[in-house]
Amino acid sequence: MKKYICILLGLISGVSAVVGSDEWSGSSDLASIRVMQFRRDGGNRIRYPDALPSLLELMNEQARVGFDPDPLFIDTLTDGRLFDNPILYLNCDELPNFDFSPEENEALRRYLKLGGFLYLDAGIKASFLGADMGHSYAAWEERPEVREWFAQLFPESLFSPLPRNHEIFRTFYKGLPDNEYLRLEENQKRLPDTVLTFVEQEKWPQATYSFVGMKVNGRLACVASPICAMGWGRDEFGSWVPPISFRIRESAEDFDETLKLASFQGKTYEVTREDGLKDIIYTIPGKRPLWVREPTERWRIFKYYSGEEISDYAHSFYARLGMNVFLYALLN
Amino acid sequence: MKDCRVVYCLLALSIFSKGGAQPTQTVAEEFLKVESNQSISSGVPVRTSIDQTLEIASQKLLSGEESERVAAAKLLGKYSLRNSSLLLIGALGDPSPLVRRAALVSLVEHYNNGQIIYEAALVEKIYARLGDSDVEVRREVSALIPRLVPGLLQSGMEKLEINGRVVYRSRPGKLRPDLDKLTQDALLDSDSIVRQNLLKNHFSLRLQIHPATMVALLEDKDSRVLLVALDQVRIYGRIPGIFEQVKKLAIHPELGVRAKVLQVSRNLSRSYPLYRDVLRVLLNDGNRGLAAQSAVELARLGDSLSAKTVRMISAYLLSVQGLDEFSEKVFNGLSALGPNSTEVYRELTEHPSGRLRAVAWQNYLTQTKGWKDAKIWLPATKDRDSEVRQLALGAIRGRVEQLGEDDLNSLIESRYKDVRAFAAECLLVVELKIVENMFLELLIDEDGLVRTTTLRVLAKRRVSGWMKVHIRSLLDPNYAIQRAAMDGLLSESKVGVPALLDFVRAHPTESISSLARQELQRLGYRP
Repeated sequence: MKKYICILLGLISGVSAVVGSDEWSGSSDLASIRVMQFRRDGGNRIRYPDALPSLLELMNEQARVGFDPDPLFIDTLTDGRLFDNPILYLNCDELPNFDFSPEENEALRRYLKLGGFLYLDAGIKASFLGADMGHSYAAWEERPEVREWFAQLFPESLFSPLPRNHEIFRTFYKGLPDNEYLRLEENQKRLPDTVLTFVEQEKWPQATYSFVGMKVNGRLACVASPICAMGWGRDEFGSWVPPISFRIRESAEDFDETLKLASFQGKTYEVTREDGLKDIIYTIPGKRPLWVREPTERWRIFKYYSGEEISDYAHSFYARLGMNVFLYALLN
Repeated sequence: MKDCRVVYCLLALSIFSKGGAQPTQTVAEEFLKVESNQSISSGVPVRTSIDQTLEIASQKLLSGEESERVAAAKLLGKYSLRNSSLLLIGALGDPSPLVRRAALVSLVEHYNNGQIIYEAALVEKIYARLGDSDVEVRREVSALIPRLVPGLLQSGMEKLEINGRVVYRSRPGKLRPDLDKLTQDALLDSDSIVRQNLLKNHFSLRLQIHPATMVALLEDKDSRVLLVALDQVRIYGRIPGIFEQVKKLAIHPELGVRAKVLQVSRNLSRSYPLYRDVLRVLLNDGNRGLAAQSAVELARLGDSLSAKTVRMISAYLLSVQGLDEFSEKVFNGLSALGPNSTEVYRELTEHPSGRLRAVAWQNYLTQTKGWKDAKIWLPATKDRDSEVRQLALGAIRGRVEQLGEDDLNSLIESRYKDVRAFAAECLLVVELKIVENMFLELLIDEDGLVRTTTLRVLAKRRVSGWMKVHIRSLLDPNYAIQRAAMDGLLSESKVGVPALLDFVRAHPTESISSLARQELQRLGYRP
């Protein structure tokens, strides 16, 4: 399957313009596909500068795609180059605000209608994370700012959760990284036991994640996800940067009783789950969340795991997921 | 197990007696009483106080049920207090690895929340788990080393009596001998994550790795351990056996390791010329990026490169999709090739990547002083990418000394407004006859900047009829053009200034009139 995708991508790499503009005409001999990255304020808020170039390079290496590893930065959606390139990447955490002029909105609407693809990284962000952008949380709805923005673009459409069996999660890679992919010896521990079980069964089952998407003219034209770019960066030696830690939910025999009564003096927040029900998150301001009351009246505690193996695993997952998204965008 | 229970009891008793709380049993009884009363009266369970929560957890840590002890250890992580840290340190001696894991993860949580432990005895108890039989515990401890160091390596003063005399002397902060031995052993731990963490942190532990251990680590099967070991190799570069091992790694199957070898050898070559041999091995690397990078590094160190090697560098840069980490380093190193680099830059001006073309043009024009010959720089003005045009024009702007009519014409006919604006600038250096023949094209350009620039040049060159053009332009709707026209007229006192005076009097409400009045007054006229 991967072989066929590589061949197909090889053919596609020669064609990248969404709509031929005057500037583009006569330059079709250039083969690199340029991915655009939207930045406001001259890029002052860039959080993961290595992320997208590393991912583009990884795709060139592993999927044999002809991506230019140097993203094309645009700072306004009315930039004429928008229509020269099929994929636009936007990290919502890097935006100072979601104020777009009517002209920009019109340009984006036209772009998406004409076949462009918009990836809104950090387009999902649970409310309790507040201003601390170092956290991610897999809520199952777009952040309110994104919802308001898209209500202006496509008032008749809504974001809806992408099902776990959506093609976007298996365009190129299927399943979670195994020891072979992680370059570990067969019997070496990939992750601590509790973490691995939670990841495989709940966090990222079959390498899926909490994505929402919007269709335009029947085509998935825009997806939003919790921040994934933090997992894409590699240094020149192939090591992943920066380190990532895991938040997982741990249970214990008596937590349903204990956590109901345990001392707590913070705030609670509601977060939408995959099934549409709400989790109640218990937090203390300035600290990481404590525990969660799930709709089934099950109580679980949040634990944080960090370390080389955790970080490597997370990076591998996010990079494979990122590749799947971009390659899906290219193929559909 | 019994020992553990004794420790927990002692810790619990000391915590609650020191904290001024009631004796353990009384608190628990009261809590249960309060809870049952509340629950009965309102139906909603009432949350316990922190002291009560900790006390219940401390009792559960003494339970015979492993699951209860694990749950208590997990819960204690949520209370970053000294008391709960003490309970968790006590739990590190639990016979169950699950309890020890949970206790350590909770201790890490405390450290993350700012609950730092400084008492050497307590920190040493945590650090000693580096010898734990459970690999997850060892991994957690080895990752925690940077947080443990302040408590672990405390220096101070000690008072001694030598031959009856009291002597005070400093006591250096260093690891206890048994912990030092534990660390040296852990550097060769069976788990690669532990080895990696120890290697990363051995400097902060003020530990000198034994040469044989360092060589062994440079032979590690795990490439991530190798990368960290190579990172640390700089202070062991002179030790026998290290150079040979680094040289062996120059043909390692993994590209990342070979790239690290290149970086290490480049740095070490400045102190130890021996390491240039490693770069020469890498010159024949199968990866063209690595080989090209080695070549430019050797050139920087003074080696002269063969024509074949220069061709190899050029071919590599032409084959990359764009500027990534590797290609950018090679590109930046091209200047070390001296005159050989000119041809490489020229070839790169036709690269598919816009970014690469842009920087190639910039370097090519600078190196060849390309502004002296329009044939060199004119192709850059035809590039589709505005970044390329901008950088190239930036390199020649203000430096072009002469330009022929055909060349100027090709600039004027450009579809790019930045190039046409540059054409207007070039009117300054072409023959007056050519200006007179061609300025009209630029004066009716759709772009305001082109028209403004043209106006300014016309005034500067005193092209015949320029004054009429300026007077008419004072009524242009574009303020920048009005401003250029005003500036031109102000520069000519015989006809220009009177014309401007007339204009201001005739059109007092024009947007430029206010500024024009001020300028005229400044020159001593009364508008």
